[in-house]
Amino acid sequence: MLKQNQESCSLPPRMDRKEYRLLIEHRGAGGLGCEILKNLALSGFKDIHVIDMDTIDVSNLNRQFLFRASDVGNSKAEIAARFVEKRVKGVSITPHNCKIQDKDDVFYMQFSIVICGLDSIEARRWINSALVNLFDPEDEDSLKPLIDGGTEGFKGQARVVFPTLTSCLECQLDMHAPRTAVPLCTLATIPRQPEHCIEWAHIIAWENDKPFPALDNDDPEHITWLFQKALARAKEFNISGVTYSLTQGVVKNIIPAIASTNAIIAASCCNEAFKIATQSNPCLGFEENYMMYSGNDSIYTYTFKHEKKDDCPVCGNLARELAVDPNITLEEFIASLAERAEAQLKKPSITAEKTLYMQAPPQLEKLSRPNLVKKMGELVGNGDEIGVTDPSLGAVDFKYKMKFSRDFASTA
Amino acid sequence: MLNIWTMKRKQQQDDNAAAASGTKKKKVTAAQLRVQKDLSELSLPGTMETTFKDPDDLLNFELKIEPDEGMYKGGRFHFTFEISSEFPHQAPKVLCKEKIYHPNIDLQGKVCLNILREDWKPVLNLQAVIVGLQFLFLEPNASDPLNKEAAEDLRQNREGFKRNVRQAMGGGSIKAEHFDKVLITRV
Amino acid sequence: MTEIVTDQTPPVLHGPSDKEKKYDRQLRLWAASGQKALEDAHILLLNSGSGTVGVETLKNLVLPGIGKFTIADDSIVTEADLGVNFFLDEDCLGMSRSESCVRLLQELNSDVEGQHYQFGRDRPLEGLFSDATFTLILYTLPIDSNNLTLIQKYANEKKVPLLSIHSAGFYSYFQTHLPGSFPIVDTHPDSTATTDLRLLTPWPELSEFAQSVTKDIENQSAHDHGHIPYLAILLHHLARWQSEHGALPSTYKEKTAFRNFVSASTRTDNAEGGEENFEEAVAAVLKTISSPHLSGAVKEVFDYKPDEVESVSSFWIIAEAIKTFYSKHNALPLPGSVPDMKAQSTIYVQLQNIYKSKARQDVLEVLETVRVHPGGKDIPVTEVEIFCKNAAFIKLIHGKTSPASIVEIADKEFESDDIAALAMMPLSLLPIYLSLNATSHVPSASSSEIVATISKIIPSASSNPRIVKAAEEVARAKGGELHNISSLTGGMVAQEVIKIVTQQYIPIDNTCVFDGITSRTQVLRV
Repeated sequence: MLKQNQESCSLPPRMDRKEYRLLIEHRGAGGLGCEILKNLALSGFKDIHVIDMDTIDVSNLNRQFLFRASDVGNSKAEIAARFVEKRVKGVSITPHNCKIQDKDDVFYMQFSIVICGLDSIEARRWINSALVNLFDPEDEDSLKPLIDGGTEGFKGQARVVFPTLTSCLECQLDMHAPRTAVPLCTLATIPRQPEHCIEWAHIIAWENDKPFPALDNDDPEHITWLFQKALARAKEFNISGVTYSLTQGVVKNIIPAIASTNAIIAASCCNEAFKIATQSNPCLGFEENYMMYSGNDSIYTYTFKHEKKDDCPVCGNLARELAVDPNITLEEFIASLAERAEAQLKKPSITAEKTLYMQAPPQLEKLSRPNLVKKMGELVGNGDEIGVTDPSLGAVDFKYKMKFSRDFASTA
Repeated sequence: MLNIWTMKRKQQQDDNAAAASGTKKKKVTAAQLRVQKDLSELSLPGTMETTFKDPDDLLNFELKIEPDEGMYKGGRFHFTFEISSEFPHQAPKVLCKEKIYHPNIDLQGKVCLNILREDWKPVLNLQAVIVGLQFLFLEPNASDPLNKEAAEDLRQNREGFKRNVRQAMGGGSIKAEHFDKVLITRV
Repeated sequence: MTEIVTDQTPPVLHGPSDKEKKYDRQLRLWAASGQKALEDAHILLLNSGSGTVGVETLKNLVLPGIGKFTIADDSIVTEADLGVNFFLDEDCLGMSRSESCVRLLQELNSDVEGQHYQFGRDRPLEGLFSDATFTLILYTLPIDSNNLTLIQKYANEKKVPLLSIHSAGFYSYFQTHLPGSFPIVDTHPDSTATTDLRLLTPWPELSEFAQSVTKDIENQSAHDHGHIPYLAILLHHLARWQSEHGALPSTYKEKTAFRNFVSASTRTDNAEGGEENFEEAVAAVLKTISSPHLSGAVKEVFDYKPDEVESVSSFWIIAEAIKTFYSKHNALPLPGSVPDMKAQSTIYVQLQNIYKSKARQDVLEVLETVRVHPGGKDIPVTEVEIFCKNAAFIKLIHGKTSPASIVEIADKEFESDDIAALAMMPLSLLPIYLSLNATSHVPSASSSEIVATISKIIPSASSNPRIVKAAEEVARAKGGELHNISSLTGGMVAQEVIKIVTQQYIPIDNTCVFDGITSRTQVLRV
């Protein structure tokens, strides 16, 4: 099938997409995932994995076209994978019905490209940081291009990150307008907008009344409770405009989403993946790396280069490898740090997965002091990272990757 | 393979293969590093103290405040700090553990401090939050309250409010609402 | 308190209906009115060429619940179709392409009715138009010239919007042909642009309100002073400024001086060392202290001379009434919304009501003019209300009325290409349009054939390396579609169809070109 397609649309010579293993990460109500899966399968990619922890909801059906009403309640990843495998012959799709955070470096190492259709900034920052940290300059396969898409109404964006080489999602955080928060005291005493009444019900009334053990945003009974509370409060203050739909929108922070915008952004992401894999044309990434799309007023796209930030806490602060003898004590290690040219630390605090030594606050210093006489090998593993901060460094901090210079002779 | 692959190509080292196939290496997260930095640079006066239940968990701790001036002098207040992995992009979650009579702290312990919500910015640090909390005990703000009754009390009758604060701190009741005893009793 | 308005209809306490649940995310964009328009629509796709981009467009219309769609096609499904078209599978091989695509598209949404029309030697395309009526027609290129003439004739006669789509290789373009002028009321302007407070021309109720809340301002309690709505703070200071300077601040310099004047009234002898409401007032000076002016788009509506048919439509009757309102008051009807600002709840609601009742008064005045018009008797009040609320943002799309000639456009585009690098502007995508357009009626062509065709309109084409390059890419595609490019284009076309059918947001005028190599679009009026 694919051969036919290649003949009818002959492209420059390229590597075989069969060798490419792609990962799609999808989360949330937006619904880029279905489009991305379809597009990759029809672009000749043969080995695709998809992660999605969500189950299908009725409000997904107006965009997520791989799902039918009878699928409601089932795993998105599994249904989608099965559907596309059936429709497009020769493609293998592996579903993972879990959170992206549940997977480790070994899992992410196996892919050539990662494409995200995530609806939260938190999840984006997580995968971005994971892929930046995965990069090892001595291992070419550890560089995983990250393609990210997002939509809101008639607008969206697609961007390509080559971790550590180009501006990463953390560098671009300022491109997301933060959600404006209303002061708690406004909610508590001087509400003026329907949203204030809903937030009051959500943050204050719910805590006071605890009508159900835990708030489930997807439970209509819970939303109805919040809606009625908000409505009563609005009545008390003569505020109009509280509706069920608005309540749901505020509580769940719903972003309007439509099939057509999903199609545009998902296809733009997949077009970049296709260009990276085939090298048929320049992809977004090294020069321009960000495409903004707006369809509200005519059609407007802005494709530009977002500059990498030197002080980015993720890609501007990579762990340096540090040779260390696991048989020296933490105290000796700290003394050795003071002699290092780039650090010249005076009062370093150090944490790894556990707290090694904190100079302040006093209670923490006291609790971590016994570590000073312990051997490095007892405190960290070979290859683990440690974080070093010091007031004398100002805004700078260091990450080191421990590389044991010899075997650890356990004293135990 | 892609040019960038080869661009970056160097001698493959044996232990990389071991690292990729072997155990999961522990990474330092941006939030952790930032909290570590904020904490190690905290400079607290004698009236305040932090307590870590688990020294390996820097993201959850308690702050004790014992104001030595103002209307809340003689009290001992505890705040729990809960810091998410989104820090510093998300403000720390701060709650007062005791039920106290204060215009800017409600009966559930929620605190109305601008930098804990609407005015939080990643450049702010834990020191700023702690100073803000201390300020609340020195200058309770009646204008934008969370506890409306306490605020009205403060606005209308400062002296009466002071008396009510003392009474509440002693574990008494105000308008049928019972408060926790927070006065330090030195033995 | 001036007046308590109790116009809020009590919301229904039960949850949303099944349909509201299913369409929740899109109803937040185009509301029930937009949804109704979609559900009343019948879209025709005349599918030709390799056939993916049109089907991808329909997918994005079936999902949000378009009422009805029809695919007309004369092709039979071949192996080549399966590699690019998601709405065909192996079981469809050798079958009618229209029927197969309709069947698989229909699966997406049980609310939608799909029909197919397989035409050919025994069944001419004409038959399609005998009893069906279409809201909008899509056709894909390349297309047989006779078929094109046929649907153009139908669209002209029935005044139906027509959209053409062409996708080949990394390139695509689409073009809208709207029947005559196309006015839009509900353009969904950016919420930050819509604040219209009339602080320089307050009406009596507003002035009274401002005076009452700023009465004895110097001696107000800290609490009252800290809760005066910023709008009243500005009105109070404007009045003082006027009595001191004899005029309202109008130049930029005067406005910044006025801003300092407001700022100086902030009380700082408090714990915070300032007041939030005064901060809001200071921040709002430059944005709100200016006399409203008509946007170019509204002027265009006012200046437009509707023809006989158009002039009896409700849009033009209301537009005429608003024009009358404007010439009488030198202002558009008040939209009536008030942004959130620091204030006591009751005071804020009072202020909201003052704006609401003035807006209602303005609506009544416009309505009176509308009712005098012979065609204005039955125009619903709500339509006049919506028009008045959006008056500053109405927009007129001309459809296909005499754009510049392609030679003029080319001259202009290539001239700006010469300085593009200097001006840091992207290069024109016109070469892509020209190259695709040159293969409108042939399945594929060589690059020299494409350049030769373009040269018939633009004699210098062969000496323009960018045209030659675009022609080479189109030639290389051999009429084949890349799924990503067609899917992306189908998304853009579906957005346009939704905008046209719902008459919300602003459609393109009239050609959008996409370049999948540089990931850019350009809208041209061709």
